[in-house]
Amino acid sequence: MAAIDTTLSDYPVSAVANRRGLKAGQSRVGLLMLLPAAIAFGAVILYPFLQALGLSLFQYTVEMMSPRWTGLSNFGKLLSDPAVWASFATTAIYVTLTTTGTLVLGLGWALLMNQPFKGRAVLRSLSLLPWVLPSTVSAFIWGWIFNSRYGVLNALLLQLGLIQAPQAWLSTPQGAMLAVVLTKIWLSIPLFMAFFLAGLQNLDREQIDAARVDGAGNWSILRDHILPHLRPVLIIVVVLGVIGNLQQFDTIYALTGGGPVRATAVLSVEVYRRAFEQWDIGIASAIGVLWVATLLPPAFLYLRMLVKGNG
Amino acid sequence: MNMISKVLGAIAVSSALAIGAAQAADVSFMSFTYAEQANTATVQALLDDFSKADSLTVEPLGFAWGDMQKNIFLRARSNTLPNVAQLSERWLPTFASLEALVDLNTVYGAENLQAAFAPDALAMGNIGGKQLALPLISGSIGMVANKAVLEQAGVAVPTTVAEFKDALVAVRDKVPNSVPYTMATKNNGSILIDFMLWNWVHGGTIINADGKVVVDTPESRAALQFMVDLVSERLAAPEIDRPDSRRLLAQGASAFYFDAPQTRTFLRDFSGQGEAFDVNVLPVKTPVLNAGDASTSVQWGHLLVQFAQGGTAKADEPANKFLSYLTSDAVQTAFPIKLSALPVTNSARAAVADDAYLTAWAKATGQSRPNEVGIWSNAADLTTIIGEEVQGALLGQKSVDDAITAMQSRLSESMANVAPAA
Repeated sequence: MAAIDTTLSDYPVSAVANRRGLKAGQSRVGLLMLLPAAIAFGAVILYPFLQALGLSLFQYTVEMMSPRWTGLSNFGKLLSDPAVWASFATTAIYVTLTTTGTLVLGLGWALLMNQPFKGRAVLRSLSLLPWVLPSTVSAFIWGWIFNSRYGVLNALLLQLGLIQAPQAWLSTPQGAMLAVVLTKIWLSIPLFMAFFLAGLQNLDREQIDAARVDGAGNWSILRDHILPHLRPVLIIVVVLGVIGNLQQFDTIYALTGGGPVRATAVLSVEVYRRAFEQWDIGIASAIGVLWVATLLPPAFLYLRMLVKGNG
Repeated sequence: MNMISKVLGAIAVSSALAIGAAQAADVSFMSFTYAEQANTATVQALLDDFSKADSLTVEPLGFAWGDMQKNIFLRARSNTLPNVAQLSERWLPTFASLEALVDLNTVYGAENLQAAFAPDALAMGNIGGKQLALPLISGSIGMVANKAVLEQAGVAVPTTVAEFKDALVAVRDKVPNSVPYTMATKNNGSILIDFMLWNWVHGGTIINADGKVVVDTPESRAALQFMVDLVSERLAAPEIDRPDSRRLLAQGASAFYFDAPQTRTFLRDFSGQGEAFDVNVLPVKTPVLNAGDASTSVQWGHLLVQFAQGGTAKADEPANKFLSYLTSDAVQTAFPIKLSALPVTNSARAAVADDAYLTAWAKATGQSRPNEVGIWSNAADLTTIIGEEVQGALLGQKSVDDAITAMQSRLSESMANVAPAA
């Protein structure tokens, strides 16, 4: 029996074959398919961002027809501006409260929706309603709920005897913050719930049943079985939640406009106010750059998890 | 086949371009009155009449009052300014530096404009000797009362601050669920007007003619304390902006607030009673600190500005014909009346002198003063500072002393490098 000849030179490559093999063609198709998205990204996100980055180094107010180079002085002004620091603090409070609130309530709702009961499918569908509604519509609904004169909340509390006179919820810093946080939580619960529900449906029921046979209670099952199982989902949801809440603008602006005074002026509102109320594009761009800087760590974490997996 | 496709494609593109060119209007007009539901039909009728008379077409661009400045600002940056735009009088200094803004003295001649327009109205559009805008409607921001609510509370029209406060107490106690005086407490732009007026009533000034901030005085502290007391005594309420004031007054849930004469049109709409509600709209003099003091109000009006390449234009251009039309007697004797405001030309004012409401408004106006903040090019920043500090005091977040001290300091910093626009 003749031995198999394994010398490659005995099998010459066709003259028309691509030297880089089949993968080269696949890469070209891949790049081609990426092109529309890349063009859109470049035109809608990258170019405006680079322009804002450039403008942050210029003085550019409504009185000036063309920007004047000032280097890093806008950033110097911002660092010594207490209003900007206050805006960072407000943003941190807002992001922490909304992300935590949505996480807890979204998980709770997902656990409920994972239980078998009559009408579950209908309730699951209805749960998506806040997500379907335009966010500004939701903001106006909540604005009506909190309204000091016609608000549902005041009417309810007065009827229950919990308050003696209508309260101007949106006119106190705490009340206004509570309103914008609750609105955002209400809007975000469906998305978080969908993530958690998907994770819960992969949970092995036999594992839970076995734990119950061993005497585990509800809390023990949640802590020792469900939460460890949902860990990858939790991480993704937290990172996405932080990014989304850092970017939030429309509901806050529609509900409180950043007020009263500056109580709910998160970074996005601060950028808008500087650009379109004080007409200072240079400073607004500089705040925008700092705002993007706060978004980079969670965005980096998210991308790393996407690429490497978060297990 | 390929050739046929190319030819058909070329024809389609040419047709689209031709139709687009044919549909392009002769004049583009950006207006906030056009965007107001109650007034859209009135403005559209104006534009239609102009088109019939001059065979020129106008493209209306309606934007809400609150979005106008932003839109002009963005259009200036992208070279897509309209030919003509409607402005609130207080916005003009902000846009005075735009190169495309036409000095209308160079188009119509300063003498001609001075002969045609009432001096107080024309002055609103004049900055540094340049006529950067023509007035469209004019008036003042003064106090308006709901006659029916006053009668329900059993009070007469107050003349002094003390009487005003007594009247508010009576309304609070006798008209259930009312906000006796719907003072602006929410929006910085509206808060500024209320504070400015009460500050004048108490003898204070925010910024003097030299651009020096002079708000840190006992008079201004007294004015702010007066406003704070109104809120704490439930004579005014938080979360009130001008639209809320109009609605509450129209619904009989408020007795007083500050507004322009145009308020009658809004009140007709919001009350659901139309012109039948006019009997309740009572222009009253702003109360004075001491009997015998001169009552005061803020100058107010809507302006028309023209934008053109290089800031130059000629009287026979479509946009200028449109401006001439809007300030003609035909328009001025009807349009301002529909909007419950004063006309701006001498002849039109003479023609409408028998309008009872406008006469009553003019009588109640007292000493009308220019917006002392609006004349500065950094008016937007000044408005934000004053609004924030006043709101902070009204909502109990800081004391009156702290608010006035902070206002003086922040305004001074903002005014440090600012030249007067007027």
